[in-house]
Amino acid sequence: MAIKYSELVIEHFKNPHNVGTIDKPDASATEGSPACGDQLTVYLKVNPETQIIEDIKFQSYGCASNIATASIITDLAMGRTIEEAKQITWKQAADELGGLPPIKMHCSVLAVDALRSAIKNWEHKYLGKEIDDSLNKKNIVKELQKVIYGQIGVDIVSLRLLKYIGVDEKNNVLLELAIKKDDPFLADVKHEINERMEKFPKIASVKISLV
Amino acid sequence: MSGKEVYLDSCKTSRLAPEVLDAMMPYLTDKYWYPGSFTSIGTEIAEVIEQAQETVAHSMNAKPEEITFTSGGTDANNIAILGILQANKERGRHFICSNVSHPSVLAVFQGMEKQGFEGTYISADRDGYLDLDELKAAIRPDTILAAFTHVNHILGTIQDVKAIRNILDQADHKIYLFMDSCEAYTKIPLDVRELGIDSLSISVHKFNGPKGMGILYVKKGTKIVPTQFGITRLYKLKPGAINVPGIVGTAKAVEIAFTDFDKKTERFRELQKFLYDEIMTRIPDAVLNGPPPGERSPTHLNVTFRYIEGEAIMMMLDFDNIHVETGSACSSQNLRPNYILMNTGRTHEESHGSVRFTLDRFVTKEDILKTVDALEKTAKELRRRSPLGKKEQ
Repeated sequence: MAIKYSELVIEHFKNPHNVGTIDKPDASATEGSPACGDQLTVYLKVNPETQIIEDIKFQSYGCASNIATASIITDLAMGRTIEEAKQITWKQAADELGGLPPIKMHCSVLAVDALRSAIKNWEHKYLGKEIDDSLNKKNIVKELQKVIYGQIGVDIVSLRLLKYIGVDEKNNVLLELAIKKDDPFLADVKHEINERMEKFPKIASVKISLV
Repeated sequence: MSGKEVYLDSCKTSRLAPEVLDAMMPYLTDKYWYPGSFTSIGTEIAEVIEQAQETVAHSMNAKPEEITFTSGGTDANNIAILGILQANKERGRHFICSNVSHPSVLAVFQGMEKQGFEGTYISADRDGYLDLDELKAAIRPDTILAAFTHVNHILGTIQDVKAIRNILDQADHKIYLFMDSCEAYTKIPLDVRELGIDSLSISVHKFNGPKGMGILYVKKGTKIVPTQFGITRLYKLKPGAINVPGIVGTAKAVEIAFTDFDKKTERFRELQKFLYDEIMTRIPDAVLNGPPPGERSPTHLNVTFRYIEGEAIMMMLDFDNIHVETGSACSSQNLRPNYILMNTGRTHEESHGSVRFTLDRFVTKEDILKTVDALEKTAKELRRRSPLGKKEQ
């Protein structure tokens, strides 16, 4: 079956909005890495009194949908308050683009993740909010909700593919997945999980078992 | 899309040559008959098929009876690999393949592993050349078949088939050599006797022939059993309907490819070098994948454009009606980077920004210029958007 982008995705890829950097940004965040695939950096300029995002820019090392989703989330966040921008979801970003092919839904997740991380960094810097990166089941689930199963375009938690999370006293993490070993997307899911788990500074190892 | 189409993806499929369509047309319309004996219509078609087999056989120094027309390269791979493994399994159940082989070959072997056969997959160096020491070490008393991709479809690497044959011949028992020559045939000289190939597969739509046609060569005396069953009108290995127009088109495409072969090769080499030189002089941070022009397949080039992603490059070119292929994970069906680039020591990033260009007889120097113009513009724009690397102004 042919995978096709919507006209809006093509338009945002051809002529993306808000590309570039901000000189002395109030906050920024980078998600993804060239070693794993796409990478996205979001820069913010926020009015400290009104908490309105007065300027937002992005840089993308990625495919058409990566660039298009970055373009749309910066459009959605521009002029909004920090609290409003935090409510932008990856499903909303995809919908605003007239939908994304399931295999490309992870681009929308990466874009929203970069925006939220930049906001967290801003809140940490200007409001003194702690960044909670402690290794516990709740935070692990939050990260795994960003791992998209490419065939369907939905995260592995919502799809109930994640059957068990265990964390031992030495910070080793055990995850059990209900995915067949010959599933064409298994390698990608494992890769994404490992990338997500790297966000926990205290993690010692990740073991993924198939059940 | 804008402007004249520039198609640089003949390794995936290619335009049907107008002469081939002309040759096929009578057999799609008035001469719709099957081959047969005694009748005028039957013998006419039989003679046409005999002539086609001779044309194909002559092109690779084979005998006409060693040629079977199939429904494509994959079909030929399956018939040969399954047939040889099954026919020789009393001698052993071990085969040797490579981790840089074409997926259609790997898929056959993966299927056979589920049926009790065992494989050793030898590796290749950064340029895609097979590790022949590993091949030597992989040979076992129960090895019955070695199968490799003749010209690598991603890296353009031409394997040293004679050296492979010599190593196999050092074993004290017969090891059959099968080559997937889909990307080699019509691109480099191919003499099955000189190279010592026992069986090979060819895909016809990659050299301006009709889709749905393949060529299987099986050397006379090779122990092989049929894997498909039905009415065997022409070939014991390929029963069923006979695609007469396809066979006629195949012969015509072969005839065209091998007419003035050296001159054609020289032209491809010039175009390849021109494309390579233009890219390397005009686009910074471009890295060649595979052997240098002159040593690789003359119709093949693969370049990584650093700091930018291949699907984005491919789509930007597509807007200008220029068509290429990428090894980027974003463009794959399972979000994984190209396994051949990864198995030859490249990073995810190098695979991510890789673009493959493959030429055929319809590609002109103007097409190459248009492509590099578009590439230069695309690389500049995507690098402006990228957080990686140096910025161009």
